[in-house]
Amino acid sequence: MSAEEQLHITARQGPDRLILELEGELDMVSSGLLEEALAGADLDGARAVVLDLCGVRFLDSTGLRAIFRVRNAVRESGRQFAVTQGSAQVQRLLSLTRLDEHLQTIDTPDAAVLA
Amino acid sequence: MLSSSLDLATTMRHVVQLTVPRLADLCVIDLRDREGAISELAAASADGELSTRLEELRSRFPLDPAGAHPVARVIRSGEAELLAEMSHELLRSFAQGSEHAQFMIAGRYRSAIVAPLTARGRTLGALSTLRLTGSEPYDQGDLQFVCELARRAALAIDNSQLFRDVQAVERRLEAVLRNLAEAITVVDGAGRTVFANQAALEFLGLASPAELAQAKPGEIMSRFIVLSESGQELELDAMPARRLFRGEPAPPLLVRNIVRATGEERWVIVRASPIVDPETGRMAYAANVFEDVTQVKRAQLAEAFMAGASRVLASSMDYGETLQRVARLAAGQLADWCAVDVLGERGQLERVAVHHDDPEKLALAELLDRSYRPTLDEALGVGAVIRSGEARMFNDISAEALASYARDAEHLRLLRQMGARDVIIVPLAAPARTLGAITLVSSRNGRRLVDADLEVAVRLGRRAGTAVESARLYTERSRIARVLQRALLPDSLPDMPGFQIAASYRPAGELDEVGGDFYDVFPCGGGSWMLVIGDVCGKGAEAASVTALARHTLRAVSMLEMPPAAMLELLHRTLRQQEPEGQMCTVCVVVVGSPGVCARLTIALAGHPRPLIVGPGETASAVGEPGTVLGMVDPITVSEVAVELCQEQTLLLYTDGVPEAARARAQPALAPEKLSARVHGLALQDMLQVIETAAVESADGQPQDDIALLGLRLAEAGGR
Repeated sequence: MSAEEQLHITARQGPDRLILELEGELDMVSSGLLEEALAGADLDGARAVVLDLCGVRFLDSTGLRAIFRVRNAVRESGRQFAVTQGSAQVQRLLSLTRLDEHLQTIDTPDAAVLA
Repeated sequence: MLSSSLDLATTMRHVVQLTVPRLADLCVIDLRDREGAISELAAASADGELSTRLEELRSRFPLDPAGAHPVARVIRSGEAELLAEMSHELLRSFAQGSEHAQFMIAGRYRSAIVAPLTARGRTLGALSTLRLTGSEPYDQGDLQFVCELARRAALAIDNSQLFRDVQAVERRLEAVLRNLAEAITVVDGAGRTVFANQAALEFLGLASPAELAQAKPGEIMSRFIVLSESGQELELDAMPARRLFRGEPAPPLLVRNIVRATGEERWVIVRASPIVDPETGRMAYAANVFEDVTQVKRAQLAEAFMAGASRVLASSMDYGETLQRVARLAAGQLADWCAVDVLGERGQLERVAVHHDDPEKLALAELLDRSYRPTLDEALGVGAVIRSGEARMFNDISAEALASYARDAEHLRLLRQMGARDVIIVPLAAPARTLGAITLVSSRNGRRLVDADLEVAVRLGRRAGTAVESARLYTERSRIARVLQRALLPDSLPDMPGFQIAASYRPAGELDEVGGDFYDVFPCGGGSWMLVIGDVCGKGAEAASVTALARHTLRAVSMLEMPPAAMLELLHRTLRQQEPEGQMCTVCVVVVGSPGVCARLTIALAGHPRPLIVGPGETASAVGEPGTVLGMVDPITVSEVAVELCQEQTLLLYTDGVPEAARARAQPALAPEKLSARVHGLALQDMLQVIETAAVESADGQPQDDIALLGLRLAEAGGR
């Protein structure tokens, strides 16, 4: 399965943010797409970037690393970074690695992002 | 006489000659053509001179069909005329001019009978008999006789004209048939070929229609091997024409036709239609139309063959087996015999595949190869093709050519026994080099190899060469990967007094990349042992270098007798300093205290799945407190948890390949509530094997991540 078949990313502009909606499996095959999506996105006027993980059915360590690379890049640009809650498997991996403690998780992609 | 010859002018010349001199001194037959003009057809006179002059006169003064000349009158009326005595005046009255009148008067015309040539109600012309001065004038008796003669002559003329018309139609039809590109034959019910156009003569390999006429029924067909599309030999009775004669439906038939004498192969569509005799209403003949579709069919077969070969070549990375399958395919479809030779590392040629459908021939080919293996330096054949990289085709290999190629008498004997007629040798061509050669051989009774086959074979050589090169590179890469991987794992597990320890490691499906999983077991001072298992994010060289770093860092710091959580903190710092940034690693460290009834385990986790303690008759329990994965974020939180490992319990450390393998399924391989029952009573190594197999199965045989397992038990009571 190709990366594009495995993961579909939609970029959407909110009032103050860029929202990347992820649909599919974020793993070794597809994680490159996430960093590409951020690099190709228009961040003008965005105060924050939100990864909507609702549609992520599977996440592996490579995907996890990609999320944190995106997080670091967003934060270095002076913007806020947040995610929405993913599937049980995503949550399990986040808590197993305790990386959930380093992510701001919001209920919906449009919910308030804290500074 | 009148019915025996159908050549009109000849016949009529005979008719007029019959009348002279007994019945007439001069006899003329004039005919009316389609447009109504009258022309002389035949004339005869006693001295021969008069008739010649008459013929000359008629051409200069054609009779006016509407004129007064008796011939014109009779043709118009259809009634015979008896001109018993012709006066000069009478002659002048119907002459076509004064010269004509002078001719008749000077010729001493005396008496004449003009009888119509009438057949099937049409007057075709007139028969005139003349007597000159000195002969008896005609009477009524003569008139009747001449009329009877004219009637018979008319019938003959009519038949002859009919025949000529039919012939003209036939000639036109034949000209059409002859010029058709399709071969057309007409066969009768006895199987005799009664007509063949030029294309058919060529198709049947006949030099002339005469050769066709002399052939016995079935003799021509016996020159060919006729096979169905699927390769079964077809009986003559299966041909459409034969089916028509039996009153069966005869749809067009696609046949593979091989000329026995030359081995030439053609694909032909045979269509037959009945030719019904109009008199009997029964089928008298069948017309066969042979359409040569060799080019189309060859192209189609070549594509199908290449598609089949490509599928075979792509199906496996085991190129020995793959080439054997390709040889089988090629021997079945292109030639009788196929062999593949590959250039070895020391420049020797190795036969890696050979196939012939006939086991005896196959054995012979194998014997030939064992005794007289081709060499790279040979002037002709496989070696020459590999050296030059150029494909070669040899047709109609002569006895002399075979003898000059043979190395000795025995070699020649075996080659002769092979019975090769045509040979194609193509390079097994990888993009940058020639790896070997594919040899195709057709024997005496097989089909010929032609240019089209050479083209297909060259394509096959390229396709197979590329596949072999890929397989070689793949094998080489996985060999390097395995070597590298071993450098990341301990060669063998150390002896841990009072414990049993076992490990298993399965790289992910693709062997060409080094995985990021690692484990290690080493003493860490004070009689304690340290078990480490970890997983570096990613694959390939980058992951491998981080894996090595992690493993060796932990080995080094273990000498410092630090608590496990502090060791992980130190490894985290080391990883954070690595370039490129963001090297992520999960680790589980277990410090194992001295063995007694139970042994004390201190567990520290950094982003790694919690180890399991599997005991008899109870649910396996995950132990340890989740800690932050290393290398990603600051600060990390890592805690230590102490547990006991007692008799009959197993500590199981694993990498996330084990649970991850189950991503496609609801049921993970390590479901704790099922695990204990599943592995109960198994020896430690067997237990790991069972879990690994379950993990592979839950990923449908193709886990995407490495699977590493490390198991620890106390030595069984009573010694180990």
